[in-house]
Amino acid sequence: MKPVSTSPPQLPGGQGGQVVFLDLLGRVRLRLLRDRAVMWGANGVAAGALLALVVEIVYRRWPLDPGWPGLAGALAVGVAVAVAGWALAWPSLPEVARIADLRLGGRERLTTALQFAGEGGWVYGRQRDDAAAFARRADLAALDAVSPPLKVLGLAAVAGAGALVLALLPNPAVQQLRERRAEVAAQAQAAGQVDQIARQLGQAQAGADPVKRQALTQELQKAAAAARQAPSPQSAVGALSQAQDNLRQLQDPNLAQKQDAAAGAGQQLAQNANAAAAGKALASGDQKTAAGELNKLAQSLPAMSDQQRQQLAQSLSQAAGAAGGDQKLQSSLSQASQALQQGNTQAAQQSLQGAAQEAQAVAAGEQFQGDVNQAVNGLQQAKQPLQGQQGQDGQASQQGQGQQGQGQQGQGQGQGQGQGQGQGQGQGQGQGQGQGQGQGQGQGQGQGQGQGQGQGQSGQGNGSGTGGGTTRPAGSTEKVYVPSQAQDTGNGLNQGSQPGVQNGLVPYQDVLADYKASALNQVNRADIPQQQQQLVQQYFSDLGQ
Amino acid sequence: MRAAEVQPAMQPERFQELALGIERELAKFIVGQRELVRSVLIALIAGGHVLLEGQPGLGKTVLVRSLSDVLELGFARVQFTPDLMPADVTGTNIVTEDDSGRRRFEFQPGPLFTNLLLADEINRATPKTQSALLEAMQERQVTVGDRTRPLPRPFFVLATQNPIELEGTYPLPEAQLDRFLFKLLVPFPSAEDLAEIARRTTGVADAELLPVASGDDLSAMSTLAREVPVAEPVMERAVRILLATHPDRTEAPEEVRRYVRWGASPRGLQTLVLAGRIRALLEGRFNLALEDLEAVAAPALRHRVFLNFEADAAGVDSDRVVAAALESTRGN
Repeated sequence: MKPVSTSPPQLPGGQGGQVVFLDLLGRVRLRLLRDRAVMWGANGVAAGALLALVVEIVYRRWPLDPGWPGLAGALAVGVAVAVAGWALAWPSLPEVARIADLRLGGRERLTTALQFAGEGGWVYGRQRDDAAAFARRADLAALDAVSPPLKVLGLAAVAGAGALVLALLPNPAVQQLRERRAEVAAQAQAAGQVDQIARQLGQAQAGADPVKRQALTQELQKAAAAARQAPSPQSAVGALSQAQDNLRQLQDPNLAQKQDAAAGAGQQLAQNANAAAAGKALASGDQKTAAGELNKLAQSLPAMSDQQRQQLAQSLSQAAGAAGGDQKLQSSLSQASQALQQGNTQAAQQSLQGAAQEAQAVAAGEQFQGDVNQAVNGLQQAKQPLQGQQGQDGQASQQGQGQQGQGQQGQGQGQGQGQGQGQGQGQGQGQGQGQGQGQGQGQGQGQGQGQGQGQGQSGQGNGSGTGGGTTRPAGSTEKVYVPSQAQDTGNGLNQGSQPGVQNGLVPYQDVLADYKASALNQVNRADIPQQQQQLVQQYFSDLGQ
Repeated sequence: MRAAEVQPAMQPERFQELALGIERELAKFIVGQRELVRSVLIALIAGGHVLLEGQPGLGKTVLVRSLSDVLELGFARVQFTPDLMPADVTGTNIVTEDDSGRRRFEFQPGPLFTNLLLADEINRATPKTQSALLEAMQERQVTVGDRTRPLPRPFFVLATQNPIELEGTYPLPEAQLDRFLFKLLVPFPSAEDLAEIARRTTGVADAELLPVASGDDLSAMSTLAREVPVAEPVMERAVRILLATHPDRTEAPEEVRRYVRWGASPRGLQTLVLAGRIRALLEGRFNLALEDLEAVAAPALRHRVFLNFEADAAGVDSDRVVAAALESTRGN
């Protein structure tokens, strides 16, 4: 703000003239300040409105969310323009004198008197007297009030209205920005889920093939990075789908055959008293126990009688015949049978130990396959929020395997993808309808169509389906991981009631007791036939073994 | 020397009294034409020469002759004709014989050696003769042969000319035009003035002019006028007005850029300020005002702005150009 000079060295007309002169200039200055306040206020409003309009237009191209900082900035600029303009336009005394001359008809009397206020000499004195006389008779009514700057105000009104309309109308760019942010968040969430799966699998016990396990972890990490860096959710889903395909390729395609072979061999061995434990373990799919029992059987050979050895040789021979799907197991069993028949106990022991190793290898394969399935399921879960972002895909019907049981008997879990294609692990009991592909473990009745792999015992039901299944004998010590309850929202994973299951994956053994208690509590009702209740109880008893 | 330490050459009241007296006396013979008389008076106080342009019979010669009577100044009149020679104006050396019969050259002064010279119909003389006035008007001296002789003070040239489009005329060269303080256009009288002219000139009574001021009075009035202060904004406006007559300046208006060949010389600015100061005193003010500048702009600049052929073709005169220059600098 300019300093106001109020004390020129010498002003017109002596002391009285000086007062009159300064009073006139002061009143004119006040009028000027008022007029300029109106003018710069209008300019500020126009500047703010125009800037707001520009901001709104720019937001249409380069959106900002939230947009209020830009509008607040426009308002601040408008205020700054008004205040700064008004302050910079603060009239000096010479300017006031000049304007007073122009508007009051002073014919430059005031301007000249002010400029030469310090000059001596008769002509300057006469001029100051003349100026003072003019100041005395000056009528401020001649200072016409400045009309409001209608053009500027009109411009401000138009610009403000335009900015308001643009602010109220939907902004596609902002919507796109928000969608993109949600997409990025969904991608980050998906990547985080995949990273978590990779860490969990990396911390799990090493399987039989460290190279495959490392490849599994690396594939998951690569999938997480790809999902995080993907330009769109579609690309992220594609990357995760590709990762799923890659993971499936890590699975042993012959594992099912080997499992069937082991089961067949186990059924044969179970008929022999000495090999019954190993046989039952093989038959139930408990390969680890079977391996241990086979080693025990090998160690017990020297203590057997010849008759027992011959009977065992015969059982081993029959078991070898049933283990056609696993050439190594078949060979080991056959060699053991032959060695026993020839009385070569030591060779028989070595062959049985070879069979135990094969059972151990199958067990490791099963564990790795479980890990792969878990990883595939985790990737599938990670795809859900991304598919939700895609909109149409998120609207797809998702039918999973093992939907919640109907009636009071339903208990199941599963997940799947729309249109009846899905993968998952399930465990349940009850009735369900579904289409899908997956692995399941359960007992009960079900209806469904689809492809899947299942494990079950004494299942009853009707339905059609294709797929491979393994029967796992009761008493298995294998840890089977089940998805927790918290993961089944919105992704087709449904559980009837699962007590004690927390977020993440927990070992199967840890939750079995809770499942059992919950299931028995559910079926312990008068309207459920006693036979069905016993069936459930038997199921969990078998699982506990 | 500070103005505070000297007394005024003339009291301002006396200044106005003399001016009003001159105008009052001239009004006895000159009907109407108040602005014309006021402008001539300003030019005389400023010590400048005046070019009067108008149709024959509008009273140009009467005005000048009346001025000489009112101001108690020596008066000479030269009727410029195509055969007028420079020596006819300046004077010449002639052979004379004294009482002893001895012959010698003696300078015979021409009509220039007076206070108030009426150069009637100056544009009818040849440029050679017109140029004879150059030195006299600017230097106020005459050189004939190897001697330079000063002209009496004050010395004013009031030239009249008919519109240049009339036949048998020689347009004044630009250098000579610039030496005239004012170029005044003598308007045709109004109907009322014509009637008054008829009454005065066809009756029996003949008005008698009384001398009001002397040459010294004019000199004192000029000195007084030069003390009138000029505020900075007013001086800036005067400069802007002058610059606005130059077509190559950015501040020049469209009319100037289109129709003007050369703008006004610095003499134009001097004339604006000095004539404006005198006018201020005549108006009873002690400061130069923008209004004074605008009032004297046309007579001070119209003969210093040289138009191009496009202006001639479009019928644009210098007054319109000067008005455009004034308008373009107004309110800045």
